[in-house]
This record gives sequence, structure tokens and C-alpha cells, in this order.
Amino acid sequence: MNNMANETFRNIRLGVFVVVGTLLLVTAFYLVGNKQNLFGSSFRISARFYNVNGLTQGNNVRFAGIDVGTVETVNIENDSTVIVVMLLEKDVQKFIKGNAIASVGTDGLMGNKLVNINSVKDLGLSIKEGDELRTLRPLEMDEMVRTLNETNINIKVITDNLRSITEKISSKNSLWNVLLDTIVADNVKSAVVNLKLMSNDGIAITGNLKELARQMRYGKGTIAALITDTVLSGRINQTIVKLEKFSDTAAVISGDISYLVQQLKHGKGSMGVLLTDTMLVHDLNKSILRIDTAAGSFNENMEALQYSWPFKKYYKKKGKK
Amino acid sequence: MAFEAIKKVLAEAGDIARFTARFFSEAFRPRFEFTEFLRQCFFIGYKSLPLVAITAFIMGLVITIQSRPTLVEFGAESWLPKMVSVSLVREIAPVITALICAGKIGSGIGAELGSMKVTEQIDSMEVSGTNPFKYLIATRVLASTFMIPILAVIADAVSLYGGFLGANIHGAVSWTLFWNQVFETLQYGDIVPSILKTYFFGFAIGIIGCYKGYNSNKGTEGVGRSANSAVVISSLLVFVIDLLAVQISDLLNLT
Repeated sequence: MNNMANETFRNIRLGVFVVVGTLLLVTAFYLVGNKQNLFGSSFRISARFYNVNGLTQGNNVRFAGIDVGTVETVNIENDSTVIVVMLLEKDVQKFIKGNAIASVGTDGLMGNKLVNINSVKDLGLSIKEGDELRTLRPLEMDEMVRTLNETNINIKVITDNLRSITEKISSKNSLWNVLLDTIVADNVKSAVVNLKLMSNDGIAITGNLKELARQMRYGKGTIAALITDTVLSGRINQTIVKLEKFSDTAAVISGDISYLVQQLKHGKGSMGVLLTDTMLVHDLNKSILRIDTAAGSFNENMEALQYSWPFKKYYKKKGKK
Repeated sequence: MAFEAIKKVLAEAGDIARFTARFFSEAFRPRFEFTEFLRQCFFIGYKSLPLVAITAFIMGLVITIQSRPTLVEFGAESWLPKMVSVSLVREIAPVITALICAGKIGSGIGAELGSMKVTEQIDSMEVSGTNPFKYLIATRVLASTFMIPILAVIADAVSLYGGFLGANIHGAVSWTLFWNQVFETLQYGDIVPSILKTYFFGFAIGIIGCYKGYNSNKGTEGVGRSANSAVVISSLLVFVIDLLAVQISDLLNLT
């Protein structure tokens, strides 16, 4: 009986041992799976890249710098497109907008590759299962190095130029020597003296100008008269007043005219009858036609006149002119 | 002479293979010695736990302390939990567990069965109608096959705890951050192959111990020799199996 109890106690301890070991393993499996989003609800989105820079299955996806999922597949679609399918946690779906931008980045300087999803300022709808994000072309090390190379070449050219400039400066016929030359310095000195004289003359001129201005102010000379004459300005004022009056009357006249036109339109007065009567217009047309023929015969008469002797002389004279 | 030695090694390898084949043909046929199996599980698994736990804890602590200077040189001190967790879970904890068990269980089984053999207890068991192969060998081999993986899992956990303490000697890594980093780094490809190979470790330890004990001779002297060679061969086999397991998991891309 004692032996049996002992056996049971052993079995219990064995059971605890096995259960603890199994639980540890299951917990580890769960935690690892949890980190890879194998459990819990998730959703898939995709993005098309030109170049994924070594991104592989299982790499992290970050939204605003937080790990929110993993890369599920990386497949080549065609010669210039790689499609990356990402598995993200359901919780972040409402924060990621459809216009967010995905880019391939690196964790630290040499760490794992990852996909960064960054939101943009514009408003947008939350992303849905299966949506595709816009992408940025990743920064390629090669390209950077190529640009650096160009920069280096440019720097080389610049430094070469700088060197030749400094060489020229330190050589004999240089600007520096010119600066050191005493003759040049003398010339410069005399030039400065001349400048000083010139400025003195300038002072005298401005003094004269000042005097002139003063005289003008006190009404001396013709220009001064023009500028300072108060009587003239009074006259001009009067003229302006008259002009004003005239324009007032003009306004009255134009008002009258418009009234007249109004009355004419409505056929009042003899003038109105004249203008609005169509019969009269007809008659007038007829009269004008008659006048036309009359003018034609008048012309003929005049031509005949040219050749009649009393006027012949006159026309000859005119023709000569 | 060399030929003789090679012949002897090959003969023993063949013998072990035949012994293994006999195990497979007898172990899975009724009737099962379930109570004896549990008793062996208790002795092989539960009784080895303190030894394995202490070893694993020290290994975790030491590996962390030893890895730190190199990582500091790279300025990657924050990667300490990641690096330590991968090396512990993938390699160190399972292999250390298997080696400790090879020493403890292999020698135990070899000595126990060897002494039973030389005192002719096994023969008398056969006479009394009990199948000694089922009762003594199948139970021990199965027990070590199933207990060593559990010991390895516990060793993983304890060694990671040692790693946590080691990381906190010079640096400051919070409990949550440490485990977060550990499980961020670990993949199924790290855990599953490392646990699967411990089944093979356990099987190898059990079968070699039993073979050596079961084939013990030359009296009391033979008991010591069989215990000794059981430890040596099973320890060697642990490394050979480890090599194979790593190669296979590498070929299958389980990384």
C-alpha cells in the first residue's frame, strides 16, 4: 500500500514535469506565431515595387514606425514590377488610409529590410482587404554611390581650378604684385586727390543750384514767374470753374436731346412725322433718284461747258496745273 | 591490427543496428509495460531535471556574459538577447541536455542492465515468463526518447532566464523587452528542428545504454566497462546526430 502511494506520488510529479515542459513549448510556439501574425485577425494588402532591395518573406512591416505585420510573399510580376503581399494586424486597418505610401527601408544601418508604410497629409478612406498601396522607389546604395562619384569628379575639377587660381595669385605677374606696385599706388593716390577736387567742384555746383532755387522761390527770372505767379493760377482756377459750368449745361442739353429723341420715336411733331412716315421715305427715295438723274445731266452740261469757248481757257489753265 | 580494430567497430555497429531493429519489432507489439514505462520516465525525466536545469541556467548566463564584449565592439549591445536566444535554443540547450543525459542516463542504464545481466537476472526473468526485452529495454528506450525533448524544452526556458540575468549584469534589459526580443527573433524554423532532434538524441542515449548493458559480460568488471562505453558512444552519437540534423534542416531551408 505504501509502495502504491509512493508510485502515485511519483506519477504525479512526472505528470507535472511533462505538463510544464509541454506548456513551455506550446507557449513558445504561440508567442513566435503571435509575432508573425499567424493568430488573431489580420488582413492582406499589397504593393508593387520596382525594386525590393532584398526584402524577403517574414520581414517586418512598419506603420508610422510600429511593427504591425509581416511580408507574406514577394513575387516577380514582370520585368519591372515586384508584388509584395503584406499581412497586417486588423487593429491598424482603420488607421491606414488608402493613399498611404509604402517604401522598402532598412532597420538601422545594416539591419533587416522592412516595408515602411507612411501616411500622407491628405484625407483618405481607410484601407480595405486586398487594396494596393502606392510605393516609393527605394534608395539604392549603387545609385547613391554613382551620384557621389559624379560629385567627386566635380569636386576634383573645382579643386583643380582653385589650385590654378592660387598659383596665378602667387606667380609674378599677379594681381597681388599689382597691388604691391608703388607706381600704381601713387596713381591711385593722385586719382583719389582728383576725386577730392571733383567733389569740391560738386559742392560749389550744388551751392549754385541752391542759390538758384532760392531766387526762384522769391520770384526772380521767367521760370520763377511761371512757377510763382499766383494771378495765373487764379485764372486757371476760373477756367476750370467755367469748364465745369459748361459741362453742366452740356448735361442739360443732352437731357433735352434725349427727350426730343423720345418724342421723335413716338412720332410727335413734324420732324417725328418726317422720320417715321414710311410713305415719305418712299417719296424721298424717288426724289433722290430724280436728283441723281438731274445731277447726271448737270454733269453732262458741265462737260459741254468745258468745250464752249468762254470757259475753254479756264479749263486749259487748270489742266496745266 | 588496424584491420582487426575496424572489423570490431563494424561488427559492433551491425550489432547495434540489429539491436535497434529488435527494439522496433518488439516495442510496438502488445502487451505494453505501461507502469514500468512511467517508472522509467520518472527516473530518466524527472530525476534528471535538477541537473539539466542547473547546467542550462549556467550555460545561458555564461554565453550571455561571454557574448557581450564582442557585441559591444560592434556597438550592437542591444542585440544581445536576440543573439543569445538563437544560439541557446538552436544549439546549446538541446546539446547540453543530451550530453548531461548521456552521462547520467546512459551510464545508469548501462550499469543497471549490466549488473542484471552478469547476475543472470535477465535470464531468470525470461524463465519466469516475462519478456525482458519488453520490460527492461523497450520501456527505457521509449522513456528516454520522450523525456529528453521535455528536458530540452525546460532547459531552453531556464537557459533563456539565465541569459536574461546575464544581460542585466552590465546592461539593463527589462523582463518584457527581453522576452519580446527573444520571440521576435525566434522562428518556428529555430524551435521545431531543435526539438525534433532531441527525440533522436534521447533514442540514441537509450538504445546505446541498453545495448551496452544488455550485452555486458566478464562479470563485475564488465558492468563498469559497459557503463563507460555507453556514455562514450552515446555522447559521440549525440554530436553525430546533431551534425546530421543541422545539415538536414539547413538543406530544407528551415532557418
